Amino acid sequence: MSGTVQQVVGILCIIAILYIGNLVRVKRLELKYALVWFAVGVMLLIFDLAPGIMEWLARLLGIALPINMLFFLGFGFVLIIILTQTVVISNLTRKTKRLTQEVALLHRRIDNIKTREEETKEIIASIQNPNVGVVNYIDSEEP
Amino acid sequence: MQRRNKLVIIPAFNEAGCIVNTIEDIRQNAPSFDYVVINDCSRDETGALCEKYHYNVVNLPINSGIGAAVQTGYMYAKRYGYEYAIQVDGDGQHDASFLEEMAEIIEHSDVNMLIGSRFIEKEGFQSTGLRRFGIRYFTALIRLLTRQTVTDPTSGMRIVDRNVINMFAEDYPKDYPEPETAVTVIKNGLTVREIPVRMKERQAGVSSISFKKSVYYMIKVSLACFMAAIGVK
Repeated sequence: MSGTVQQVVGILCIIAILYIGNLVRVKRLELKYALVWFAVGVMLLIFDLAPGIMEWLARLLGIALPINMLFFLGFGFVLIIILTQTVVISNLTRKTKRLTQEVALLHRRIDNIKTREEETKEIIASIQNPNVGVVNYIDSEEP
Repeated sequence: MQRRNKLVIIPAFNEAGCIVNTIEDIRQNAPSFDYVVINDCSRDETGALCEKYHYNVVNLPINSGIGAAVQTGYMYAKRYGYEYAIQVDGDGQHDASFLEEMAEIIEHSDVNMLIGSRFIEKEGFQSTGLRRFGIRYFTALIRLLTRQTVTDPTSGMRIVDRNVINMFAEDYPKDYPEPETAVTVIKNGLTVREIPVRMKERQAGVSSISFKKSVYYMIKVSLACFMAAIGVK
């Protein structure tokens, strides 16, 4: 890697890490999920500053070109991140579903309570004013 | 609030065409049942019709899919202490007169889940050829996984007791739940039995399983059955 590319990549890495840090600071990114991105940024930076490590790793794994080592690592990282996100999405789906169901059931309950309240009021009114006949509410109520 | 110990769960998504018929059918032919409509955020008149006739409806604020809708029904059943719950599709494909018959049987036995099967006496609407093949495949798969025979594992007509209600209220598949839940129930040491029923051809609406989706259905449900078989709590 030439000196210029190394500098550009290094600067980009630092900018990316700072940007992710800021996302966490303004609470647009959960620290929990930011960790894996920090790891990616820091690792890239290390590889960039010390290209020898990657060459050594590539030789160790029998990969001819160090650049392929980089692709391999990047691919591995992306897979891990996507899997993590799928887990997170599944979790969110489950939670949204539960909340939806809870809200719906609560609505039903509120409506039932309201109906009963009105019926009670009418019964009380009819007791206080005996001229108005009491309708048989016990039979007319429906859950 | 409630006077009966049995609940009919009616999941409804865009069923304005037959929801009223379905409910009136249940009220007339299944008088020992309470019912609850789970309106899964229908885009048609389903919700408005339920309001109009003061039906006991639970409106899901977000469209959550058939599995979530049915599960809401089981949550309702659990919360209000129902002994038995049965699911009836909002499309009027089931015959409400069978509800009482099924209730009668499950109440006088120690069966936890009773399934209405089209294929014991082979009467009424028998589904189409390819679908029947799919159903046979699931019968074979369930026999392989649980060593029990369920002749109509895709039947949506199933009455369950309180044990199963509690189970379903906690955990219920997102879509196409029938074969999978049969496996779950059997694998949890509860008993499943079948009785013959006759089904009508649907009155309105379309089946949730189009030809295009059938491949997804086969793979998903097979995998789900397998997971249910190995994932005993």
